[in-house]
Amino acid sequence: MKYMILHHASQADYVAMAGENSAVGRAWTPEELAAMGEFMGKWTNELVESGEFVDAIGLAAPVHTRRLSADGVITDGPYAETAEVVGGITIIDCASFDRATEIAAKLADAPSPDYVRARGYADIRPIMNSLDELTA
Amino acid sequence: MTLVFEGLLRELAPQALGAVVRRYGHFDTAEDAVQEALIAAATQWPRDGVPDNPRGWLIAVAARRLTDLLRAEQARQRRENTWTLPPVAPDDLGDADDTLILLFMCCHPALPPEQQIALTLRSVAGLTTQEIARAFLVPEPTMGQRISRAKQRVKASGVPFRMPADRAERLAAVLHVLYLIFTEGYASTAGPQVYRSELSTEAIRLTRIVHRLLPRDGEVAGLLALMLLTDARRAARVGVDGALILLESQDRSLWRQDLIAEGVDLVTTAMSTGPSGPYQLQAAIAALHDEAPTAADTDWPQIEALYGALLSLAPNPMTALNHAVAVAMARGPAPALELVSALAEDKRLADHHRLHAVRAHLLEMSGEVDGALTAYRLAAQLTRSLPEQRYLNTKAATLARDQVRE
Repeated sequence: MKYMILHHASQADYVAMAGENSAVGRAWTPEELAAMGEFMGKWTNELVESGEFVDAIGLAAPVHTRRLSADGVITDGPYAETAEVVGGITIIDCASFDRATEIAAKLADAPSPDYVRARGYADIRPIMNSLDELTA
Repeated sequence: MTLVFEGLLRELAPQALGAVVRRYGHFDTAEDAVQEALIAAATQWPRDGVPDNPRGWLIAVAARRLTDLLRAEQARQRRENTWTLPPVAPDDLGDADDTLILLFMCCHPALPPEQQIALTLRSVAGLTTQEIARAFLVPEPTMGQRISRAKQRVKASGVPFRMPADRAERLAAVLHVLYLIFTEGYASTAGPQVYRSELSTEAIRLTRIVHRLLPRDGEVAGLLALMLLTDARRAARVGVDGALILLESQDRSLWRQDLIAEGVDLVTTAMSTGPSGPYQLQAAIAALHDEAPTAADTDWPQIEALYGALLSLAPNPMTALNHAVAVAMARGPAPALELVSALAEDKRLADHHRLHAVRAHLLEMSGEVDGALTAYRLAAQLTRSLPEQRYLNTKAATLARDQVRE
């Protein structure tokens, strides 16, 4: 079964990771960022090795967003500085929702500044295989 | 900054801007971001060395700056920055063509020519506002406003970052802008210098890029050939005192043989592969001048024929005037004077100094000294170029002196 793990971040988080103090807290140090990168690489590699990895993507900062509404109007960068949006996703193919949750739970050990760790979260969502599941 | 870095940055600037606009949009803000990245590169590279992937470095730094600038902009406005969805067409062109797309954007038909020129020099050539202002002899704030108005217009036009559908028509506009930049540098319309060579050099550099991207386009090759063949004579065109030296009196040993060879090669290839356009014909005329060992050896009948072909292809009073000169040189002043008299009826040309200068020459050739004197003086009054004015007044004075002696 496929699941999507959504990693959340705000524009301010992107700014802080890029090395500047932001609306949510102090700048990350290069060492902190490197440690985070190493952790995420290891976490992903374990999934590759167990055969549970499907795909992973990181998204550019929320400021680079265009929102297209139903009336065809396009809005540039609609998110406030601290609004949390999806910053990246990991898609896994594993035995169960519980196994997916177990995998995501390891993210709690990701090294990061305390203020980030204090409010960090990830969502785990089952992926549908077809529209039929909507009515199943 | 050393020339090596400057050359590299000039080459990379439009590629970086193209890449950033292609990926993130925001033409106006992206342009500022790339300028800041260029400034950062200009200070860091000479000190720390050029990065392994300089283009990637510029794109990454510019993207960072774009993020910052957008955040500041959005925080300030927080109003809906809305626009309409541009039509999306498949665009399978690689990054190499970003420079060309950028040129099409800068030469957008929504912009008046002076904004097209300013934006091209800033965004594609990577000149600073100060450099462009100096080249066009306007105050820096004036040029700054012109550029920012142009950027806003491009943004407001909602033009998507891709090859325009009416590519052939738009390419003509791009070539015209490059031609204007070249001629502005070669024969400045105002001020004390005969040419501001940096503009001509820049025009040649940009046209070379377009030629590299569109090697099979005959008019691009023709324009590049025309520029090279004209620029080849640059050193011989001005005397030590800054006075203009006409083609017939120039020291031909000062002409750049390498540029002439390249230009002749380009125009010969272009003319043998397809129908000849106006730039090719003008280049062919320039080639005939450049290849003549002395002024007396000039193949005027051939030049007259080429001007005739040019006139039928692109009627233009200035071309007609040059045609008349070629007629005079090939067949004598009488038929040429008839042509010039007919041209004087044209309102666009009646008060142009060049018409009266040509008329003066033709009258002098036919021995009509009084008429020639009047025409030289009138032409001197009408020109805005100081070296040309000096030349015309000298001609008039020499004629008057010879008349007294006789």
